[in-house]
Amino acid sequence: MTNTITTKDEIMAIFPKVAETMADALGCDVEKVKLDASLIDDLGAESIDFLDIVFRLERAFKVKIPRGKILEEARGNLSESEFDKGGVVSDAGVERLKSFLSEVPPERFKSPLAVADIPRLFTVETFCKMVVRQQKAAAASNPKPA
Amino acid sequence: MNNPALTDGGLSGDIAVVTGGGRGIGRAIVEVLAAAGMEVVFTYRENAAAANELIASCPGAKIAAEMVDVRDAAACSAFTDKLIERTGRVDLLVNNAGVIRDNILGLLQEDDVRVVLETNVIGTFNMTRTIVPHMISQRRGKIVNISSVSGEKGGRGQTNYAASKGAINALTRSLAVELASRKITVNAVAPGVIETEMSRAVRERAGDAVTSRILLRRIGRPEEVAYAVWFLSSKYADYITGQILHVDGGFKME
Repeated sequence: MTNTITTKDEIMAIFPKVAETMADALGCDVEKVKLDASLIDDLGAESIDFLDIVFRLERAFKVKIPRGKILEEARGNLSESEFDKGGVVSDAGVERLKSFLSEVPPERFKSPLAVADIPRLFTVETFCKMVVRQQKAAAASNPKPA
Repeated sequence: MNNPALTDGGLSGDIAVVTGGGRGIGRAIVEVLAAAGMEVVFTYRENAAAANELIASCPGAKIAAEMVDVRDAAACSAFTDKLIERTGRVDLLVNNAGVIRDNILGLLQEDDVRVVLETNVIGTFNMTRTIVPHMISQRRGKIVNISSVSGEKGGRGQTNYAASKGAINALTRSLAVELASRKITVNAVAPGVIETEMSRAVRERAGDAVTSRILLRRIGRPEEVAYAVWFLSSKYADYITGQILHVDGGFKME
């Protein structure tokens, strides 16, 4: 079982490279890429940029990040029907999201929250956490010999 | 094929991927793009002899072949990973791989529908999805899908093939919208009746009736389709996206 808890130290260790990668993808100054910056609202990312960012992170960190990985992980153990109804995130889904996206201030979770608006919550730290989790998963599946 | 005029298209040294490039229209596309100075990597499903013969027939050209079934998403992904590891980029994708299984609706087997849609549509999705992230990162690239006159003109016994090519036309337009902001153009070439092994049965079944319905009164040649692909891949088409270019001697208009 992979440890999915990410520490601040782990996040800060990779943050400079993540910031550089995102600045390249978004064509902005790396100074603008703060850990708590919202990709869409603060950095002006469009949906196509998410694909580019994930792709660049894969190459920068030599990890595989399946498309839709963040949303899949965000849902956790909830089934699709438990997570949202008609494109609106259920109460249980919102609670799950607040726990999973602990880096996002609670006031940014609108009510009702449309599934389509979930990416609007993502911050730079969200992606840092994803990279750390994928690094751990890769290490767990390919343990180095003692 | 040696045509110096083609080298003026700004393609020299660029990397092209052509699916289904071993025979027919795909082969002509490989030959024309290689003649334009591109490094061409083409895929084929099973006919290694034809692939090897094509490479051997173009001495001096940069052409390589890989056996890939485009219906297999994992195989497409592995192919692209291997290519990028070697070249570091890809400038052009030509989604040409396609099959035809004509019959009137009542006589179509389930497999006839499934194989045509899986190869022509899902196969195009599979390869495009693996290549596009690289083009997005590069902020440049061109995609040319090989459609067919059947995508817009009704034809007896072609419900499955026509549906697949209509899907390609729709995919072409939507993908053009998605990728325009990253300076990637997406267009399609829609051949009419072309002299290939794949269309032989169609041509034989229709006989002289076919040419009488083509305004230019003749069957097209594979290289005539390939030149249209070259044009849409070249710098001369930098301002063209989301278009379906018909190369059919006027067949669609008749």
